[in-house]
Amino acid sequence: MNSPVIELRGLSHRYDTDPVLRDIDLTIEAGEIFGFLGHNGAGKTTAINIITTLIEPTSGTAKVCGYDVVTERRDVTRCIGYLPAEVRMYGHMTAAENLEFFAKLSGVTEPRKAVAETLDYLDCAELANKRVGSFSTGMRQRIGIAQAIVHRPKVLFLDEPTSGLDPLGVRQLRATILRLNGDLGMTVFMNTHLLSEVSKVCTTIGVLNHGELIYKDSIEETTRRFPDEASLEDIYVRMETSS
Amino acid sequence: MIATIAAHQVLSLRRQRVFLALLATLLTMTALAGVLGWSSHHTIVRVYDEAVKLLASTGKPAPPNPFLLKPTLSLLSNMVVYIPLIGALLALILGHLSIVDDETNGTGRLVFSRQVTRTSYVLGKIASAAAVLAVVLTASLLVSVASLLVVNHTIAAGDFGRLGLFYALSWLYLMVFALIGMVTVLMTRRRSIALLSAMGAWLVITFVIPQFTSGLRPTQSLNPITDPASTSQTFFKITSTLRSYSVVEQYKQASGQILQTATAESVGQTIQRILPIAGLVIVLALVTVRLVQRHDFSRSANSE
Repeated sequence: MNSPVIELRGLSHRYDTDPVLRDIDLTIEAGEIFGFLGHNGAGKTTAINIITTLIEPTSGTAKVCGYDVVTERRDVTRCIGYLPAEVRMYGHMTAAENLEFFAKLSGVTEPRKAVAETLDYLDCAELANKRVGSFSTGMRQRIGIAQAIVHRPKVLFLDEPTSGLDPLGVRQLRATILRLNGDLGMTVFMNTHLLSEVSKVCTTIGVLNHGELIYKDSIEETTRRFPDEASLEDIYVRMETSS
Repeated sequence: MIATIAAHQVLSLRRQRVFLALLATLLTMTALAGVLGWSSHHTIVRVYDEAVKLLASTGKPAPPNPFLLKPTLSLLSNMVVYIPLIGALLALILGHLSIVDDETNGTGRLVFSRQVTRTSYVLGKIASAAAVLAVVLTASLLVSVASLLVVNHTIAAGDFGRLGLFYALSWLYLMVFALIGMVTVLMTRRRSIALLSAMGAWLVITFVIPQFTSGLRPTQSLNPITDPASTSQTFFKITSTLRSYSVVEQYKQASGQILQTATAESVGQTIQRILPIAGLVIVLALVTVRLVQRHDFSRSANSE
């Protein structure tokens, strides 16, 4: 059995007096591609912000690779890569300069080499010396993924990664996620709205509704559990409405 | 980590057109100060030469050249005005740009999901601002030296030292504005509000406070001239006391002492003028560190 890579226990968060996450218990094992589903404002991004050490939870604990996100922040950040939604990076700098900076911040010993290898791996070496500010959404997303994996993290967090991408871009992203999971063994935690992508990419899903985790299981088990529903979208709608 | 962040910020600033435009303006104004000094020197010397010729033809003795009585560095006295005007604006933009991308582009989220502590981050940003200002003022110093060499064909070691001290003081003064540029980004949610707030602070420090503390004597807010005869009115007594805390006036007075363009005072008095500026830099640096420690960079994307 795989060891848990992400463990949330009683995780809660509130902004001022508004509760955003309520008592979340969640375990994600190594090698999984986890799709985190939920309506707008359900708390998905807040959960990622806590797990990636950007904010501290109001209560409860979160561990990544066995390290606590509050007390062992440095160890957690060594294990993770993160691509936020609609990140723009430093637009007046080239892709290589952006990536080198983030590689250095991640403690990569040979940042230039790591950048070249990463761009090659993602088939976008031709973008290296172009300024990010001139990139299309799809190109920006590829460089965004490159910055997230330049230090070869164990866990990759993607927040709405398909947002703004055209169908071809979505397909490329899907292929990239599967390669990262298959070739490099990265566990992937993905916030998304796009249910069609979840069914094609994810091994496990979790559904967040108004800050509460109302469902978590593998894709196979989910389709077995809801035999009357034609698609994952129908299942999701049923979960949301019944909760 | 501090060096990585500082080096990245310096590279970033080199690509920012607004910053480069302001830098070019400051250097142009520095050269202009030299040109104005040279023009003034040239005109007076020509008038003096004509007067000497006229006096000689009538058999009268000529007075000494008036420029020989003036300190050499008085040629650059306009720099004491340009630094608080253009230099301070440049420093504000520098401080603003240092943090605003991480605040509004969402790159702060990328930075803080790495092995970067908030202390390293803010120290890197302050170090980069300090280094960039040092380079900018060194360039300005070189332009000033070139101007002096054009006019006088030589520069005494003492004058060079005084010029160096003047630019060191200017660096300290401009750090106030670089830090204000950072603080306003960290205290506001929108890019435009942050910039407007910083400009507001610049206006207050450069124009409003001196207007008040100099007893509404407008020429004093622009020129480092000596205080007119003191007045016994309570209002002017209060404003004169508060003047010690007006950093722009203290900067101009201390600069006047360094460049020997103001009435001489003791070194201790000049140091006392510099202390409020240094104090403000320390306070603003501590405030910046504190604000970065508490700032929520996770909510920072797409603010405008």
